[in-house]
Amino acid sequence: MSTPNTAETLPTTGPAGGAPASPGGVAVLECDDVCVHFGGVKAVDGISLQLLPDTIHGIIGPNGSGKSTLIGAITRLTKLTSGRLLFDGEEYQSSPASVVARKRVARTFQTVRLLPDLTVLENIQLGADGRTHDEGPRPNLLKRLLGKQISPAVGEAIERTNLQGFESFYPSELSYGTQRRVEIARAISTGPRLLLLDEPTAGMNQTERAEISALLQSLRTGGLSQLLVEHDVQMMIDTCDHVFAMNFGKLIAEGRPKDVVQSPQVQEAYLGRKWRDHA
Amino acid sequence: MSSFYLTNLVLVQATITGLLLALSIQVPIRMGVFSFAGAGAYGFGCYAGAILVLDYQMAAVPTIVITGLLAGLVVLVVGLLIAKLNGLYLAMATVAFCLIISVVAINGGELTGGSTGRYGVISDFTMGHMFAIGAIALVLVALSERGKLGRRVDAVREDPELAASMGINVRRYRLVAFAVSGVLGGVAGAMNILVRSAVSPLDIGFPLIVLALTMIIVGGSLSWKGAVIGALIFTWLPDLLAVVGEWQELIYGIIVAIAAVLLPRGLYGVYVDTKRSVLRRRRQEATDKATAQTPPPTSTGDTTDIDRLAPEMEAQR
Repeated sequence: MSTPNTAETLPTTGPAGGAPASPGGVAVLECDDVCVHFGGVKAVDGISLQLLPDTIHGIIGPNGSGKSTLIGAITRLTKLTSGRLLFDGEEYQSSPASVVARKRVARTFQTVRLLPDLTVLENIQLGADGRTHDEGPRPNLLKRLLGKQISPAVGEAIERTNLQGFESFYPSELSYGTQRRVEIARAISTGPRLLLLDEPTAGMNQTERAEISALLQSLRTGGLSQLLVEHDVQMMIDTCDHVFAMNFGKLIAEGRPKDVVQSPQVQEAYLGRKWRDHA
Repeated sequence: MSSFYLTNLVLVQATITGLLLALSIQVPIRMGVFSFAGAGAYGFGCYAGAILVLDYQMAAVPTIVITGLLAGLVVLVVGLLIAKLNGLYLAMATVAFCLIISVVAINGGELTGGSTGRYGVISDFTMGHMFAIGAIALVLVALSERGKLGRRVDAVREDPELAASMGINVRRYRLVAFAVSGVLGGVAGAMNILVRSAVSPLDIGFPLIVLALTMIIVGGSLSWKGAVIGALIFTWLPDLLAVVGEWQELIYGIIVAIAAVLLPRGLYGVYVDTKRSVLRRRRQEATDKATAQTPPPTSTGDTTDIDRLAPEMEAQR
């Protein structure tokens, strides 16, 4: 049985750091007392949270605090021990990962996972292949069979992630940071309603991080909800509207990024009690 | 009709059946399913084809269609039973299926002809039928490597978790791989019995797995083109090596060993890798030329420009 969540709730902001988010707003995703246990290890232990549309949410926490496991649970790639998951108010904790993805939940992974025998263009098109919500005429069967059809969403994703000129490259020819951008482009090209990004700027330099931060902020339209897991605290402060802090699988604080970072519980989780008192 | 074609008609027939047998193993491998059930389906197809023609006087084309569908169904059921297995365990389970087909063939009484097998399978099958069926199978497999389907098949093979997160039902793709493998193996077996007119338990079983695997290891496992190369080499090579007499097996073995060690992606993989390497070199030359023509930037003491160029330079390198 999981213990009740005792997260410290700090002042919250709405989209773009503006008005406070309405607690009664219609959440795109809701986790209700979600637990993921691996034997005796409680990787995620009774997490309850809501992700709102047009909002960038972040999760911070020390290594092993359960951030990536939570993303795995939300996308159903990791099996839940207990708890409920709701997308647009509809429970889906029993659905397989592929069904969750078709609800327009896209993600990137902690390590780059591009297909080595596909070019950048084809890797991104793989994301667009799953789009079921596009209106308008479908390309004819022959074009689909012969693989000549490139979705307009792919061009848009390439432009947004500054990948022009890399279309014909294979992943092994790209730097780690560029591979990361291809992953983000692939996720964007699915036309997501919920975008989950697991350390999207790992391996990038400061300029690239700033570009990704700007990109994520530019995506904050059309009802898209984003959940970002990142170790770069400054980037989280600059990018996110609302931050959750986790430690030992539990939510220990949530609210405005700056407030969460300054929260004694969060500082203790990162630095330990002794160093927090020194700070 | 050329004399070369007529002289080597048996080899031409063996190439087409060998190609379909190789594809029956290659298609599931391309979807990340390490299954040899296609070889079992081939054995099933040989006997089912013989039974349909001898006991039900069925014509060639319906025999091939029904045999293909039955074999697809049988292998699909096998796939459902072992759906949770992976890698070597899955491979062993499908080898067991092939061996079961052999055991059933030996102990099948009048239906399978026991250890003698079935013979005298004469039908209206022509080389035209054979070329047409082979071409249709090849075109369908080739189409599965292109476009959306090809990308999804790649994703299912390379990273099932990623595939699922892209909305792909990985389990369904794996089951389709089993069914397609069964159909291809069954059709190959049926065509084999229709051109050979006899089958015995010695003609099916484990050696078929070795033959099919050899074809796709040497030819290349990730494209139908590899299967074509493999089928051509290993159907014609034993005939060409006849001149070395008893050393034939040794040379055959050395070729397979060299291919397995030095060409892990097969001969077709060598072509693909060379093409990519040439493309990369051309891109590098174009970049070098463009860099040489661009005047060096004047230093402003600001490191931002260098930071901005760094990832591009890294990418080009």
